[in-house]
Amino acid sequence: MEKFTIAGLEINKASFKDMFLNKIMLLSYVLIAFAIYGIYEIYELRYFTKVASTHSMSLDPFNPELKEALKSAIFGNVGEVSREVPWTLFISNYMYMIYTGSGIIFLVALAELLNFKIVEKLAASFMVAGLAMVFAGLFTIATDLNMLNMKWMFLDPNTNAGMWLMLPLYLTYIPFVLFEIYLILTNKRELARKLAFPILILSIGVDLVEYYIQAKLFSMNTARHLWTEFPGLMWYFIISAFVSSLGVMGILSYLVHRNKKGYKELMSLIRKSMLFFLYLLAIYEVVGYLVIDKDWAFIILFGEFRVLFFGGYILFALVLPFLLLVKPDRSYIIPASISVIIGGYIGRYLFVYGGNANPLTNRFGVGYEKYDFYSLTTNFNYVSPHLGEIFIVVGSVGVAIFIFKLVDTLFSITKQRDVH
Amino acid sequence: MNYAMALDYQNCINCKACETACKEENGVQLGANKQRIWVGIVEGSIFDKSFINLYPSQCNHCETAPCVSVCPTNASYVAAGGIVQVDYKKCILCKGCMEACPYDARFVDDTKVAVDKCTFCDHRIEEYGTTACQTTCPTNVRMFGDLDDDNSDLVKLLKKKRFFFLKEKSNTRPKLFYIVPDSENYARQSISHETKIYTWDEYLEKYRGVRG
Repeated sequence: MEKFTIAGLEINKASFKDMFLNKIMLLSYVLIAFAIYGIYEIYELRYFTKVASTHSMSLDPFNPELKEALKSAIFGNVGEVSREVPWTLFISNYMYMIYTGSGIIFLVALAELLNFKIVEKLAASFMVAGLAMVFAGLFTIATDLNMLNMKWMFLDPNTNAGMWLMLPLYLTYIPFVLFEIYLILTNKRELARKLAFPILILSIGVDLVEYYIQAKLFSMNTARHLWTEFPGLMWYFIISAFVSSLGVMGILSYLVHRNKKGYKELMSLIRKSMLFFLYLLAIYEVVGYLVIDKDWAFIILFGEFRVLFFGGYILFALVLPFLLLVKPDRSYIIPASISVIIGGYIGRYLFVYGGNANPLTNRFGVGYEKYDFYSLTTNFNYVSPHLGEIFIVVGSVGVAIFIFKLVDTLFSITKQRDVH
Repeated sequence: MNYAMALDYQNCINCKACETACKEENGVQLGANKQRIWVGIVEGSIFDKSFINLYPSQCNHCETAPCVSVCPTNASYVAAGGIVQVDYKKCILCKGCMEACPYDARFVDDTKVAVDKCTFCDHRIEEYGTTACQTTCPTNVRMFGDLDDDNSDLVKLLKKKRFFFLKEKSNTRPKLFYIVPDSENYARQSISHETKIYTWDEYLEKYRGVRG
């Protein structure tokens, strides 16, 4: 393909059709269409649905929309956000995408540092995949937040809050990774050689800070003991993310690198790394659930979440991949990768929902309270995600695919690069 | 000024007048789960004898409020008089404060597209000196006042009665003072064994560093 060069970066002269009308792009559009519908549904509920209050009812008592709102206020749950489970699938997906994406970038940087040539040759594709996942995570959270008030993050920041700390981090992190990808793509060996080591060390440092800040954000929610009592929450995020990251790397390698020289070596490396982190994760899970608050541990291990925990998370994230990978047979790496991706997602879901599962209503220490005279007392909180929320999550995968494919069309990131 | 409230919950008859008054006064969204204040109910039985505990509840206006420290935009802040407030126009709906509050005292008000909670009816204090819920309560469950004023009715009441706080181990330094019921039976069934009971002097010593 014809190319032109800007700042040493070779860019393919791709036509509009090449860029936006290929099979993979069409797949991403289908997925993004789900997200658009989801955003419409969520925004409609959030911004355009009439809400009944004594004031609005007295000002406009015959408004049919208000009558409907009053009916749902009396007979059902009103509004988008439940009081008992404020963080839902948005947060699960955000965490999954951000951690797994960052995990890929971290592992590739580490592999470069440790001189794994095969990873170095394909580093651009992995790093772009990682960054695309980070953007997909940000896309999810952007739809969850009230963006109309986001300016206050800058106008009146509370710099001690974990969430605010993520903003400057992303402002450093994303350009930083982009620069690293630029160096790889431009083959600026002289400059790259001089900068490679500090850049890699810094990128690992930035990733660690990212994990630390995310853990801090959860640790600030002292009321939810599942989150705050997990030992070394940052390390849990890192270990569990790496397992999923290696799964994504395995699938990506199969899809785009399987005909390249060194594929076998790459998959063997992924297999060994995945096994290593599976051991760590298994040890962590055993220790973790021994030390957290018994009410939360009980819900997950023996209560309502037990099927999802053992039949979903433990099976797909730990047992199945371990059995598939323990023998050095390459043909099982892809099923194991799929398994850890699914298991990792269930793990994030359980982590977020599990934190809210034990009601905070036992405030007087003599039993769970109910807040409504006609409702039943509950010792378990769970609210199913909205359909709109599920669609946005599906669409976030489309966002990641869109970014990856577009960058690949323009910069041929999946091409194997020479390493000297 | 350090506003607080005592709740003599043994008097609560679950008439919901306080909930209704709050919704009327503050235009709070209607719905059972959209409450600035509410009466929590625990039902149970001891040796086959059934009981029901009624716990009038609201934001504890904690002195070390976790909802304030977790807010990324300072939308949650401590206003004059130690009242924990929400600036709705700054709320980005991250819901971190809802996750951080150990008392379940926050909810999303869809009329504001922001998190909402009890404000101690701060707009009424100057004119009426108290909250809508206290004014409406037919059995004098609530007593609003200034903790720093020794002559306030609140402090006078706390000097006479014993009281306790909710989830004290969370170190939030809450400012809802639950009065220990006069009936020993009701006290036993409605307060856990782990709860620490205070007198006014004990409270001053622990929370204000003042020795009696």
